[in-house]
Amino acid sequence: MVAEYPKILLAHQGLPDSRSLKTYLSQGGYEAAKKAISMGPAQIIDEVKASGLRGRGGAGFSTGMKWSFVPKDLPGARYLICNNDESEPGTFKDRQICTVSPHMILEGMIIAGYAIGAAKGYIYTRWEFQKEIQYLETAIKEAYEAGLLGKNILNSSFSFDLDHYMGAGAYICGEETGLISSLEGKKGQPKLKPPFPAVSGYLGRPTIVNNTETLAVVPWIINHGGKEYRKYGTEKSPGTKLFSISGALNRPGVYEVPLGYPLMKLINDECGGMQPGRTIKAVIPGGASAPLLTPSEIQDATLDYECMAQKGTMLGSGAIMVIDDRQSMADLLRITIDFFAHESCGQCTPCREGTGWLANIMMGISEKTAKTEDVNRLGLVAKHMGGKTICALSDACAMPVMSYVQKFGDELRDYLKQGAVH
Amino acid sequence: MSPETNQQAIKPVPLKPAEPVVKETVTFTINDKEITVPKGTTVMAAAKQNDVYIPHFCWHPGLSVAGVCRFCMVKVEGRPKLEIGCNLTATPGMKVSTLTPEVKEAHKWALEFHLINHPLDCPICDQAGECKLQDYYMEVGQYKSQMERPKVLKPKAIDVGDDLVLDTERCILCDRCVRFEAEVTKTAALGIFNRGDRAVIGTYPGKKISHQYQTNIVDICPVGAFTSKDFRFKQRVWFLKHKPTICPGCSTGCHVDVYGKPDTRTYYRVKPRESDVNQFWMCDTGRKTYKHLNQENRLRGAITSGASRKRATLAEAYQVLAEKIKSASVQDLALLVAPQYTCEEYQKFFEFFVDKLKITKVFEWREPTEDRKAFDGILYRGDKNPNSLGLRQSLEKRGLVKPGQEIPGFNDVAASGATCVIALAPEILFQYPSLASQMALLEELSFVSLWTVSADLVASKKIKHALPMKGFAEKTGTFLNFEGKVGQLQEAFPSAVEDARDISETVTSLGEVLMGLS
Repeated sequence: MVAEYPKILLAHQGLPDSRSLKTYLSQGGYEAAKKAISMGPAQIIDEVKASGLRGRGGAGFSTGMKWSFVPKDLPGARYLICNNDESEPGTFKDRQICTVSPHMILEGMIIAGYAIGAAKGYIYTRWEFQKEIQYLETAIKEAYEAGLLGKNILNSSFSFDLDHYMGAGAYICGEETGLISSLEGKKGQPKLKPPFPAVSGYLGRPTIVNNTETLAVVPWIINHGGKEYRKYGTEKSPGTKLFSISGALNRPGVYEVPLGYPLMKLINDECGGMQPGRTIKAVIPGGASAPLLTPSEIQDATLDYECMAQKGTMLGSGAIMVIDDRQSMADLLRITIDFFAHESCGQCTPCREGTGWLANIMMGISEKTAKTEDVNRLGLVAKHMGGKTICALSDACAMPVMSYVQKFGDELRDYLKQGAVH
Repeated sequence: MSPETNQQAIKPVPLKPAEPVVKETVTFTINDKEITVPKGTTVMAAAKQNDVYIPHFCWHPGLSVAGVCRFCMVKVEGRPKLEIGCNLTATPGMKVSTLTPEVKEAHKWALEFHLINHPLDCPICDQAGECKLQDYYMEVGQYKSQMERPKVLKPKAIDVGDDLVLDTERCILCDRCVRFEAEVTKTAALGIFNRGDRAVIGTYPGKKISHQYQTNIVDICPVGAFTSKDFRFKQRVWFLKHKPTICPGCSTGCHVDVYGKPDTRTYYRVKPRESDVNQFWMCDTGRKTYKHLNQENRLRGAITSGASRKRATLAEAYQVLAEKIKSASVQDLALLVAPQYTCEEYQKFFEFFVDKLKITKVFEWREPTEDRKAFDGILYRGDKNPNSLGLRQSLEKRGLVKPGQEIPGFNDVAASGATCVIALAPEILFQYPSLASQMALLEELSFVSLWTVSADLVASKKIKHALPMKGFAEKTGTFLNFEGKVGQLQEAFPSAVEDARDISETVTSLGEVLMGLS
């Protein structure tokens, strides 16, 4: 099948030795960085704004806008951080970029660093990505040796240093202020906002935290222009995006498609449909924290921020989990809640106690000692956990729970009636 | 003493420092009440300054904003979500409400979240009666808990410091204690370990809190997680009454409340009271200043010399002392005064003995080993007397000492040749480690009238004349602290000892007896 859209992020997938600087340079690598330095910071930010690029970490906030929040005239250090702590259950897209084109991330960081006036950048990678850590460190070493990082890079007056830091396995360190706390050597807990990191972030200095995929797409935008990027995707969700799709599909994996792509088309064409004998029971479109969609809801669903919002869920990190008919929703809900209860940092009471309470109730459901009204209680507790905390983890737990209770409440109640656990 | 002389004796310094000049203010409303505050003030701080109460656990005016209890939710007109008042900066025209059904629902649920894993052991908890969880339950809760599952169990009765016991099950993880340790004492001795609903407050493994501000943690703990070893299991707080007074432990003069049980005339604890002197805190040494007030430590009646030392009525004791004074020449008489009495007492005392009886030999009773310039950087000062300045001003006013000149001290008494010494003993004995040797010296003199609170000082049979004094919590008056700030001993408990009098009362009675002799 010939694609009618460019591969931006996975352009080098399949090339021999695609991770190497040599291959990256042979494909026009670091040309965008050169171009960007000749453009100047304001014009870079304008170009990124023009592209309509939205943060790929899950929130979908305008990247150019975020960069423009850094105070312009404030003297002193600023920092750029690449959030490579890809931890949302079901998400494995950023590791694909690290595996195929780590230099694309580095080039994006050089451009972003130049745009916001940062002389220092950090990549924060989750500890479990042992291979990807090696790929990135090799790439950073190559870039330093080639004069692409460090003092006066690309023979310009711009100096940019890059460090690599590994998380210790906490989901909450993927939240940008939790990440900053961790990077500062503190317990990985999100910080109270305001102030926002763009004003007071790492070490109290202006800091921009961008997702790996967001940064990796920047070189293409600089090379081709924001207008060109807008040719793909929808008006409110421009460009292409990586989707990591899992489940009982014939070809699960990471796919790059334009935003607005029909979900069923991705499942049936790219992924080759469901495995023999399996039917779709539900789809989680944006990682474990996204409310799930029923088979009837996915028929006309398109993969963009606005369609997902309209269906009461979210595109999130683009982690599509296809749940087939043999899955037990009670089991799925239990592992989902257990995950969030385990990962809650414990600062804010509604999240600390709420996630634990949900897990506690769910344990009763799993043990079949709960009452049928406990199913509704899950939804009630979740409802009052939402929108009340420093970061979005509480909502990330509450939203899927409410959708399970709303859409699969009967199955949960039936599960309770089935008798002893087997 | 007339009000005029009172004003001469002390130089009043305003209790609140002059407000810094604020260029910009912000006017907004909370529950339709118009409030004007300096620009940059949070809704919570503005509410507190204007006596509007927003329920909260983690916010404390003396600590940074944590924003974790999520209890101070308010509704801002025109904004979609509820917001926490503690981290919400007031903006002009902002309309804040704490009364909408949405806010009330949020409070109810916030309380439910706080309580689901709380042990609800109020009947055996020392915090009961002054617990924010209890208060808010009565205010916004009063529901039947929906929590029907086993609670999370955590370590209890952990010894975390000299005066601290920690119950991590009662803890609501408001983080106040952690911030206190990080920001006020800068010892960072406490942290939150683990995460989610397994999170617990703790010290670093094998370490305990050892600094002398630790009982503040008990005060700021909004629940019964931290209890004081000194106070726990001693008394139910609803039986206690408290009176505003000044800590007599050192020359900082922290504003405090003394807690006592009126029916048994027993004192139980001292707690800091918010002021510009001590903000919200006090040291643990100051907290011990209630103990000497209790009956078992008190001189309960006058003592006079006779054939053998005996308990005497006050009238008998005044008679003995008056006769002694009458028969002595001015050169025989000396006054030995500890800087632990009020300005008003000094005024009355010196008015009688110096202005009227013309005694010129006046000595200051101090601890010889104290380093008066010492300061721990927080509150505690090396001058361990609450009214050194008040005493000095009284003496300077009478020309008995010149500004900048040392007041003659304890060791000068014997050399002065005085044979009849009237001694106002220190009240806070533990601040006088050399007291035993000082008492031994006093006992060598031919006649000493010891005016004291303490039974300990007259334990030696050699003291042949003593008068029982009231403790600092049993009198009103004024202390001048190290920088001349006025501290008011505002309200007095009835004395734990029937015969105890303050200096003014004693001098008046003594004066009447002396007048009768001539």
